Amino acid sequence: MSVSREEVLRIAQVAELDVDEETLPTLAEQMSRILDYVAQLSAVPANGTVKVFVPGPDAIRFRADEVVPSQLAFGPKEFAPDFKEGFFVVPKLGQFE
Amino acid sequence: MSDAKAVADRLVKAKRLNALLTPPKELRKSLNTQIAVARPTGVLYGMPVAVKDNICTLEFTTTCGSRILEGYRSPYEATAVAKLKAAGALIAGKTNCDEFAMGSSTEHSAYGRVIHPLDKARVPGGSSGGSAALVGAGAVPAALGSETGGSVRQPAAFCGVVGIKPTYGRVSRYGLVAFGSSLDQIGVFGRSVHDAARVLSVISGRDPRDSTCEDRDPLRLPTVPESLQGFVVGLPKEYFPPELDPAVRRACDRAIRMMKELGAAVREVSLPHTPYAVPTYYVIAPAEASSNLARYDGVRYGPRFNGAADLRSLYRSTRGQGFGPEVRRRILLGTYVLSSGYYDAYYRRAQQMRALIAQDFRNVFDRGVDLLFTPTVPSPAFKAGEKLADPIAMYMSDIFTVTANLAGLPAISLPIGRVKGLPIGGQLIGQAFLEDEMIEAAYALERVVPATDEA
Repeated sequence: MSVSREEVLRIAQVAELDVDEETLPTLAEQMSRILDYVAQLSAVPANGTVKVFVPGPDAIRFRADEVVPSQLAFGPKEFAPDFKEGFFVVPKLGQFE
Repeated sequence: MSDAKAVADRLVKAKRLNALLTPPKELRKSLNTQIAVARPTGVLYGMPVAVKDNICTLEFTTTCGSRILEGYRSPYEATAVAKLKAAGALIAGKTNCDEFAMGSSTEHSAYGRVIHPLDKARVPGGSSGGSAALVGAGAVPAALGSETGGSVRQPAAFCGVVGIKPTYGRVSRYGLVAFGSSLDQIGVFGRSVHDAARVLSVISGRDPRDSTCEDRDPLRLPTVPESLQGFVVGLPKEYFPPELDPAVRRACDRAIRMMKELGAAVREVSLPHTPYAVPTYYVIAPAEASSNLARYDGVRYGPRFNGAADLRSLYRSTRGQGFGPEVRRRILLGTYVLSSGYYDAYYRRAQQMRALIAQDFRNVFDRGVDLLFTPTVPSPAFKAGEKLADPIAMYMSDIFTVTANLAGLPAISLPIGRVKGLPIGGQLIGQAFLEDEMIEAAYALERVVPATDEA
């Protein structure tokens, strides 16, 4: 399984991640090697009867449907990059496809 | 009981390790405040516990070793941290780690690599390398780390300390920054089994804030047993391959002999799907990471990397510049394996394989085996830079540890010998929620095994 530069760029778009030109060849090469490596999983016959294993409690515990406000030591103004009058400030939305 | 100055002095003395991210002045000031309010009746009164930087604290910043959270202060603290404080422990600063806990050497931190406490050319393991190095250097008696694929046990083995990864659901993850949610657990480091176990006992137990945390009482500490009479210890043959480092094998053989002398029944067992554990892990963990790390977008927390004309380019430039190479690679890999057309080939297969790996363990435990004994890592601490260019070589360092994460089982690593001065770890894997049995066996082994002797 080899991943092309174009595929890395497409995946990077989906992941909302800038990838610079310089690192692109290394990234494509490393991703290809990792995918080749994990491809050994396909040597095992796909078995539709294997029940997916999820660790953790067997049953979901329900709690009373009450609003319990989070006790925060301070508000978003202290940790957000730009926060005004109760809103996170962002640049304009731009052109969405 | 210890005084704040002495605690801080010991940590500052270990500065050369680059294991602590908290500046000395801030550490001293906070320790003074903490000691003044610590509960003298708490079971950990005065015990300094360093905390990995992906666990939220009110006292210090929480950066996860990443630029994307540089300077971030959490407005709440992790349940594990709150429980430590309620027990009188002192939060002794935040420890350096691989960025977002992704790595096996603590070389992938935006704040520089952590130095091995015994050999400055080597890595302390990872991703909780800062916590392991500080305990290994004697700067703190215990520390918190986190595990997704071995990030407590592997550095514990490299640094010659004890590391425990509890059962999935034993410790609340409220306030642990998410990486791979079906795998993540907070774990503990200690100078001794007892130090690690008593910290684990304090942080364990139910938490209404984490629905994946089981509704159980905190772990009760076992007493140190006289013998291992009645214990059946399994040796999974897949964990002792011919290419295993000979010194690691010698140290394991010695520990096995000692367990037999203590009365344990030892038998060879097989976990046939073990060879698929690392590939399974490197599909599931990046897939979950790509989803969990979508929240870092330059809008709600952390710095914003500017030059963005619109919202989407803000996301892309912030994430592109804020994440380091290993995190970027894993986000891309995770996005790839979850993308349409590849989901069945990778993610679904990995989920099925995970079920088979978990079943391997159940089969062995159902046949009367109480615990499994294995090497923690195939070799002692490697040199810095040695595996950086080859991600798969780095991933193979987790080969004996990822299985317990995939199966959700508890495991402990303890020092069982040295090779050319470098520590070797032995691992006991227990049954779900039977940490007490596992710790009991570790107590017994710890008492007899010559942990600092050459193997």
